[in-house]
Amino acid sequence: MLRKLLKHEFRATGRIMLPMYLVLLVTALGSNLAGRKMLDGPDILNTLGVLIVMAFGFAICGVMLMSFVLMIQRFYKNLLQDEGYLMFTLPVSVHQHIWSKLIVSAVWFIVTVLAIIAASLIVAFQGGFLWEMLDFLRYFFEGLQKLKITEAFNGTIYLVEFAVLMFLSLAAFSLQFYAALAAGHSRANRKMLWSVVWFFGFQFALQFLGSLLFISLDRLRIPGFLNMNWDVAPVAAIHMGLLFMIVCVVIYGAIFYAVTAFFLKKHLNLE
Amino acid sequence: MPVLECKGLTKRFGRTTALDEVSLTIEPGRIVGLLGPNGSGKTTLIKLANGLLTPDGGYIAVCGSAPGRESHRLVSYLPERTAIPTWMTARQLLDFYGDFYQDFRREAAEEMLDHLGIQPAQTIKQMSKGTREKVQLIMVMSRAAKLYLLDEPIGGVDPATRDYILSTIIGNYNPEAAVVISTHLIADVEKVLDEVIFIHQGHVTLQSTVDDIREDKGMSVDALFREVFKC
Repeated sequence: MLRKLLKHEFRATGRIMLPMYLVLLVTALGSNLAGRKMLDGPDILNTLGVLIVMAFGFAICGVMLMSFVLMIQRFYKNLLQDEGYLMFTLPVSVHQHIWSKLIVSAVWFIVTVLAIIAASLIVAFQGGFLWEMLDFLRYFFEGLQKLKITEAFNGTIYLVEFAVLMFLSLAAFSLQFYAALAAGHSRANRKMLWSVVWFFGFQFALQFLGSLLFISLDRLRIPGFLNMNWDVAPVAAIHMGLLFMIVCVVIYGAIFYAVTAFFLKKHLNLE
Repeated sequence: MPVLECKGLTKRFGRTTALDEVSLTIEPGRIVGLLGPNGSGKTTLIKLANGLLTPDGGYIAVCGSAPGRESHRLVSYLPERTAIPTWMTARQLLDFYGDFYQDFRREAAEEMLDHLGIQPAQTIKQMSKGTREKVQLIMVMSRAAKLYLLDEPIGGVDPATRDYILSTIIGNYNPEAAVVISTHLIADVEKVLDEVIFIHQGHVTLQSTVDDIREDKGMSVDALFREVFKC
């Protein structure tokens, strides 16, 4: 059933995101043309070129904003408004509903990043661009060959760890919004106002508990924790730092997942 | 086994008690009118049966199980508002129902949509309010469910549409199932009902067959309703 939910969720969101990506790529092509042919030309062409480049800037902001707005809007409109009457009477579990929203939002976040990178490459593309890119890649791989195997390995793992951290952070951040919306909409009245209150309540609680945790760890003087006198190499310390942050983000996400599921299961209160 | 059973069912919204110790049983093969004035608790009861609200006390079961994923396979629910996504086309809506409900009879739904002159590529947004309600009803009645819960299916539509809705319900429900129609427009639905449940201020005040009401009280359900709920 999760696969079916994902299919319809992609259908619902794709009709908005795909045209946005198309606009981004078209304005990127236009900006490339503007950069090469129009900005140094006569006044009219110059003005047109500036407008196209501005449109490209707006398109980048637009896709980033839309992927964020869509993440909140789909959860709110599809589950907590009128469509919720249909969605919550489907033979699927609350967990499947949450996962479908989370996975689709995360996918659009990733596609948005990739689309912006692709659009930026299009803007930068010029006659010799391909050859310059190939040259860059050649130098890059030559440089890699000079690295020790441990350095290359660690570098790759850093990148993977960082990408995982970013991905999980976005998912956990989405879950904080979902939890606030689910909790706020369990109230009988002023549901959106309560959702905002819950969101800032969560934010405050997180910061308070986080600070409390670090202060208490410091006070407890757990050997070698905050005073960082571990006998580890800097390379390992970076791995440990990234992994520690990943664990923290997973816990942060898990808490908000549990809060969301609790309110949707036990305190669903559709108007 | 009853298709819907409540025992001591209670639901409160803050200080207001919407349902107070409601107990009732609905057997399969019956068309039941859940009748009461506005705010009597009809919609609350239907939402509880669908798991859209959680009870504060008592027990509610659909085909023997508590409302949830399993009961959703057996219940076909028509909410009192348009819940189908308005961005969808009629074809996408058919796909949606077909994907999630094994008992969905796509051909029957297509035939009814065709009868209404609705094109598969037409979006719900492009349809009038009345047509949206008809489309939603078609989806709900195209399922071979064990229990149909229809919340105000004829509220807010013109008399011709009421006739269409009632004939769609009668012509398409699974005869082994029970149909619960919540409404306060008694005169329009009386002719199709086997049984009625009167609900008032969160209490069930009467559960009886339509025939018994006519024989014992010597009046129609509509006349009895007007007498019971006289302001």
